Amino acid sequence: MSLVKRPSSAASWYLPGILAGMAFTFRKMIFNLFHQKKMLTLNYPEEQYQYSARFKGNHVLTVKKDGSIRCTACMLCATNCPAQCIKITAAESEDPSVEKYPIAYEIDVLRCVYCGFCEEACPVDAIRMGPEWQTAALNGSKFAYDIQQLAYRPQLRGGVVSVLDEDERHHAGI
Amino acid sequence: MPRITINGKTVEVKEGSTIIQAFKESGQDICHYCWHPGLSVAGVCRLCMVQIEGMPRLQIACNTEVKDGMVVNNTSDTVKETVRWGLDFHLINHPLDCPICDQAGECGLQDQYMKFGSYDPEMAEKKVKKHKVVDLGPTVVLDSERCILCSRCVRFTDEVSKTHELGIFNRGDRSEIGTVEGKPLDNKYSLNTVDICPVGALTSKDFRFRQRVWYLKEGDTICSGCSTGCNVKVHFNEEGVWRVKPVYNKEVNGHWMCDEGRDTYKHVNLKVRMQAAQVGQSGAWQLIEPAEALRQVGPKIRDLAKTGKSDKISLLITGQYTNEEYESLFKMAKELKISKAYHWFNKAKDKDNFDGILLRGDRNPNTHGLLDAAKAHGIQLGSLEQFSSGASGAEMAIVAGPEDFAHFPELESILKAAAGAKLLVWLSSGVPNGLSEVSCETFAIPTKTYIEKMGSFTNHAGLKQCFKVATTIVPQALNLSEICELIQGRELNWALRPKAVGGAKANYAIAEQGAL
Amino acid sequence: MQESKLLTEHYNKPDFTSLAGYKKYGGYQVLAKALKMEPKAIIEEVKNSGLRGRGGAGFPTGTKWSFLPNNGEPRYLLCNADEGEPGTFKDRLMMERAPHQLIEGMVISAFAVGSKKSYIYVRGEYDHSIAVLRGALKEAYDAGFLGKNILGSGFDHDMDVYQGAGAYICGEETGMISSLEGLKGQPKLKPPFPAIQGYLRKPTIVNNVETLAAVKYIIRDGAAAYRKYGTEKSAGTKLFSVSGNVVKPGNYEIPLGTPLKDVIFDLCGGLKPGRTLKAVIPGGSSAPVLTAEESMKATMDYECLAQMGSMLGSGAIIVIDDSNSMVDLLDVIMHFYHHESCGQCTPCREGTGWLAKIVHRIRSGAAEPKDIDLVEKVSKQMMGKTICALSDAAAMPAISFVTKFRSEFEAHMQKTRSAVGGSAHA
Repeated sequence: MSLVKRPSSAASWYLPGILAGMAFTFRKMIFNLFHQKKMLTLNYPEEQYQYSARFKGNHVLTVKKDGSIRCTACMLCATNCPAQCIKITAAESEDPSVEKYPIAYEIDVLRCVYCGFCEEACPVDAIRMGPEWQTAALNGSKFAYDIQQLAYRPQLRGGVVSVLDEDERHHAGI
Repeated sequence: MPRITINGKTVEVKEGSTIIQAFKESGQDICHYCWHPGLSVAGVCRLCMVQIEGMPRLQIACNTEVKDGMVVNNTSDTVKETVRWGLDFHLINHPLDCPICDQAGECGLQDQYMKFGSYDPEMAEKKVKKHKVVDLGPTVVLDSERCILCSRCVRFTDEVSKTHELGIFNRGDRSEIGTVEGKPLDNKYSLNTVDICPVGALTSKDFRFRQRVWYLKEGDTICSGCSTGCNVKVHFNEEGVWRVKPVYNKEVNGHWMCDEGRDTYKHVNLKVRMQAAQVGQSGAWQLIEPAEALRQVGPKIRDLAKTGKSDKISLLITGQYTNEEYESLFKMAKELKISKAYHWFNKAKDKDNFDGILLRGDRNPNTHGLLDAAKAHGIQLGSLEQFSSGASGAEMAIVAGPEDFAHFPELESILKAAAGAKLLVWLSSGVPNGLSEVSCETFAIPTKTYIEKMGSFTNHAGLKQCFKVATTIVPQALNLSEICELIQGRELNWALRPKAVGGAKANYAIAEQGAL
Repeated sequence: MQESKLLTEHYNKPDFTSLAGYKKYGGYQVLAKALKMEPKAIIEEVKNSGLRGRGGAGFPTGTKWSFLPNNGEPRYLLCNADEGEPGTFKDRLMMERAPHQLIEGMVISAFAVGSKKSYIYVRGEYDHSIAVLRGALKEAYDAGFLGKNILGSGFDHDMDVYQGAGAYICGEETGMISSLEGLKGQPKLKPPFPAIQGYLRKPTIVNNVETLAAVKYIIRDGAAAYRKYGTEKSAGTKLFSVSGNVVKPGNYEIPLGTPLKDVIFDLCGGLKPGRTLKAVIPGGSSAPVLTAEESMKATMDYECLAQMGSMLGSGAIIVIDDSNSMVDLLDVIMHFYHHESCGQCTPCREGTGWLAKIVHRIRSGAAEPKDIDLVEKVSKQMMGKTICALSDAAAMPAISFVTKFRSEFEAHMQKTRSAVGGSAHA
């Protein structure tokens, strides 16, 4: 026995469907005109949704108290990244207490899946997923974020300072 | 031949060998750091503890000689407990900075801790601070905090290089490896200390921070640096080759290789390579597929041969190619009746130098093979001087040039001399200086380097060692055999050609592409 | 009770240090006698006397001498005068009061083992001992007791004094050999043992000052007379350096097997008034401590102390009364071993430092009861795991202190914790 139901002749006549749809749309429109508070959508970009603080948005490279970048170029984030969107070039720092630091750190956010594994892999709290979610640009090259963009973009107002210092890390057993 | 029982398995070992050697031979796991098969026994890490039946105390396997009928185990609870604690003792003052340590991924301490460690450290004290980033010499950097004082490097400079630069200074947990002031670690074998360092205390300046080792793949090959023919492995990824390390071969190089041999990866990477054939003259180049260039130049050579002008072609050959390539080259020479062949022997007067350990004055991997092949084909090889004086006015010069330019200081003058011919076919892996000044008609064809081809080198002692393709850096490059085929008008099986490895990171193509 | 003065009989006579004075009391007569004997007979005599090494390990001296291989290689005799064990000061007395006694004993021993060259390795800080020994050596050379053809016997022997550089580990025989060879003072792997390959990779015998000096008296009086002192297995007399909370500290020569109670309360005049005995370390700082109760039962010989889980060691008796804190004492001892570990073997290099840090933390009040267990655990893992015995020497007192005086450690923690306002790790 075939389970396929043949379309009824009424269904092949499309006008009732369109009218029903339009009726629904107009009903909502009129409802919204008079009950703007109860409206489910936002008037983006004039109105913007506030996500929770734990939202995983665009990446931020944290900085130390002196403003220098915290990342040690250990490449654990790049190793862990399922989208392979992180590219780091390490170099020897002048400061022997730092030893290794990235001279280039690039995240291809178009490739990024915003999973947050980089944040979890980082042993020194150098990368965090920030609250920003409006990622737009006019050019493909703008989506490869470099250190300048990741750590010092104007929205961050001088960078996110990681408050952990070495003694705190020692006490926390990190 | 004493027979001993290791963890219930009976093995027969050589007279006078130690228990740890018996363990290694029977393929059983044993934790150790300070013992190295190429060095004397120090017995200081105290990790190769074994229980020997009839002995009240645990013994170290590296200093206990095997006796017939010995029953040994390292799987009892006492031994396991001891090894666990031994590892903890190693780690209590170790900084555990694996994320920024270059050794991470190939570190003895990491590996052994994963296998034998206690996973529950009880150390709650402040660690001892020692010197970091100590410049030991031109090639090696020391981090004393990571050092576990196994003394392998000290023993290496005492026993193998015999240069005695390193020592352990101070006592107790303040002990540090160091050099005497004014005497840096500077010898031709210094980087072996980095290889044998089981932790990240000694790092090579050349490789330091360049790559994480887990991104690298390994490929075995033969070092092309000199006629010793050390067995090596190259470490590479899609960006190129990053370092060369020795592979144990009792007959040739033992456990070691020289620092110069470790530089042989530098001429294989993309930046210094000729990536397409350069056809033209005086720097006005047309860049084309190498095979296409050979399809153009092949008929010219064959025409010369047909018209009986083969004696106007001179062939100059370096000792940097494989036996198989020489075979094809000389076969082609015979077929085209080219009789004027010359041997480009660089630094010929140093050819018999030997430093007593590994490095030889003949800086070609296969001079022996070249001479053998020429002899087998009855070709008399002329000298470099004869080539220089006879090249001008010739119809054509075919130069199977060097792969590693570092050992060819006379490169430019030879290029100039070869340009005296009416047509120059120049084969080399890189672009030599002065190529753009060559005024005759030139076909510069990129050749493969030793890591990109398979074949064999015959070393100074006549030992023939085969090797396989490790990786491909320039997919268009050809080896001599392929070049000979194309010159003779035969086609290659293009389906079998290697493809470029560097295909990953395709997402960057978007960035380079610009507007979406 | 009285001392049985055999070696120290003439120590109170001021002219005993000079050759003339020494000869007055029968000096070098035994040497003349010995040189007429067969070397094998001397070794046999020493074996029969039951003399055991006085440096700490208590290995039978005659047996040690018979380990030398017969391969015609030159042999060396080394006198271990690197007296570094905290609490010990007997060798210094012997060198300063009776240098010729040592030289005579050494020449006899060298003759017995067939050595043509010997060294006295003296602790670096013993400047005065070295000066006295050097003076005595010169006198002995001038008088023909050293050098070529000694006393017309055809036996040649040269002797030298070597000043150490102040490392405790150079008192360990192979460490001493390394130091003497001009290397860093670190013990060597055994096997090969020094009797097979020692100084300059040649057969070498290393003996303590007191052992070598005692050889003279064994040859003088015969093995049987020597055996009259002491017990069956621990024969002879021994010098004990008594220090700590007793009225009359000092060096005492008594037969082995004397009850410790008699030494403390009779010979040394007991404790200061109003004090009670808390503990005794019977054999230098590396010997496990005895509680007051145990020490009342102990006799000073190798077997009894071994049975009680301690050791005779170098014979340094450190008496501790109730005015001292065991926590402070252990802190000092652990600091010493941390400072003196040579750093070769990992368990010792890292373990001594670790122990020192834990105990220091306990003392300063930032510890919890589980840290006491940790001291015990770490110490246990340091025992018998290294090339030499320094690791054991650090671990043994640590274990004995925290097990036998655990309540005191806990009380200390309770007290200091309330004083500092809680543990830092709590």
